[in-house]
Amino acid sequence: MIHKFATGLLFSLFLVFPAYASSGDKKAGEVRYNKTCINCHGPAGKGAASYPKISGNEVSYTKTKLETYRKGEEIGPNSALMIMMAKPLTDEEIANLAAYLKDAKYENKN
Amino acid sequence: MNMFKKTMLIVTASAAMSMGPVLNALADGHGNKGMNVPTIEASALMSGLENPWDMAFLPDGTMFFTEKCKGLSVRTKSGSVNALYGMKGSKGYSAAGNDLFCDGQAGMLGVVADRDFAKNRTLYVYSTSNKYHGSGCKTNFERCDGNIVMRFKVSSDLKSVSDRTDIVKDIQYKPFKSNQPFGGPGAHNGGRLRIGPGGYLWVTGGDRHRGICPQDGTLLCGKVLRIDGDGNAHPDNNPPAGFDKRIYTYGHRNVQGIDFRPSDGRAFTSEHGPWHNDEITGLVNGGNAGWDPAEKRGGRSACPDKYCGYEPNQKEGMNPAIRSAYTPMSDTRFKDLMPSAWNNNGFSQGTGSAAFLKGSNWGIYEGRLAVGIMGIAFGGTPAGSRIDMIDITTDGLGIKGIVRMPVGATKRFRGLVMGPDNALYAATDEGEIYKITAK
Repeated sequence: MIHKFATGLLFSLFLVFPAYASSGDKKAGEVRYNKTCINCHGPAGKGAASYPKISGNEVSYTKTKLETYRKGEEIGPNSALMIMMAKPLTDEEIANLAAYLKDAKYENKN
Repeated sequence: MNMFKKTMLIVTASAAMSMGPVLNALADGHGNKGMNVPTIEASALMSGLENPWDMAFLPDGTMFFTEKCKGLSVRTKSGSVNALYGMKGSKGYSAAGNDLFCDGQAGMLGVVADRDFAKNRTLYVYSTSNKYHGSGCKTNFERCDGNIVMRFKVSSDLKSVSDRTDIVKDIQYKPFKSNQPFGGPGAHNGGRLRIGPGGYLWVTGGDRHRGICPQDGTLLCGKVLRIDGDGNAHPDNNPPAGFDKRIYTYGHRNVQGIDFRPSDGRAFTSEHGPWHNDEITGLVNGGNAGWDPAEKRGGRSACPDKYCGYEPNQKEGMNPAIRSAYTPMSDTRFKDLMPSAWNNNGFSQGTGSAAFLKGSNWGIYEGRLAVGIMGIAFGGTPAGSRIDMIDITTDGLGIKGIVRMPVGATKRFRGLVMGPDNALYAATDEGEIYKITAK
């Protein structure tokens, strides 16, 4: 009885907080990252030139940033650029990118 | 003759015909310059650096290099590295300038050794500094002096520098963010330093996101300077009347590359365009590169924060050709315009630095201008990070050919410098310094 109740509760929590239920695909996130994001933010989100490091953040942090930009809202001085980059992103792509960037580390192969 | 034999005959004959010239080339080897295509290989000489920006070589292979937010270091010919002069907040340097800082694109940028370094141990470094702000820098719409050129003496053991002298103290800087894409502070500083014919020092500048800068002859923003080792104007500089005499050319947007053609010593710059038209330009003494981002000029109305550099419709993508008609990189309304030799097919992909390829080891590419390009893929323009080798016409107004250097890596190539060993060295924003050889 308690077991069923706990499962039911857990299930409803997932309904209420879908973000936590659907964790992104890190590999897909890496592929998507290397399409365009890498041009400014560098390999594995380490940052490059005047574009910041974006790796090592919690999933919710990255998701919130991308969703804000996707809505067309400005955050910092490079917002115009980020809004354009975020506009075409799907929910799935955002989840994947956030998952990839959380643990992405730049390995120097040289 | 049956079909099979006929086919075999044709195949064999074609093979023989196409193999012929190839075999001739192999037999000819390096004797025939027309066939001398070098083998180009790249490997990382250094990695794990933080935004390496420029390098300067001594004849024995000693390499000075800058890291934008950290400072000046030197890699000795044995491979050891000494941290010579740091910036505000950097650690581990034998000395530091607490007035030097980085913000956005600004920081410690260009470095070059004096022509007579063997005798005078003199090194020049470009950096952002808050030392000369004075009463300026309170808004983005006034004169704010914040980029400088320093001269140092390097110790004979390459472990320290001394005698810092600021020979240029008044290159403008952008203190605050503005209503522009990439609108952060510290935008567009130019920053490349090179020694040109006669041993004079050339300093490249940027418009620091202030509309009036490039065409205003009393300000050093958006200019290329030609000066001596004390910061005085070259006696033959010929800018328009009333201009600061240190100015060699004006009307520039953001020049991060300059080098001198081996055949005649003519200066060529490589320059970032806004959403269109990166440029390679052959400079003319006193010439106008044609960039004028001021509002209410050239047929334009008011612009966000008085800067039309990304207009119209600056927050979104637009066909580069249409946008460039509003604020052109080379406005033909100027009578003293220096037209570009190459404009990247109308694209802006971040054309950053340039170096003429020297040495017969470069074969058919000897004498071409290697150009480093770092794309960000904005508004539908492909990123295109690469090194191009450009064969510029004798009159400097066009190109004869362009080939992508087969480096084998897609990187943001920020600083290109020819080494004393006739290899090309390339600093990348990812944190490496590549050595690119040709054989």
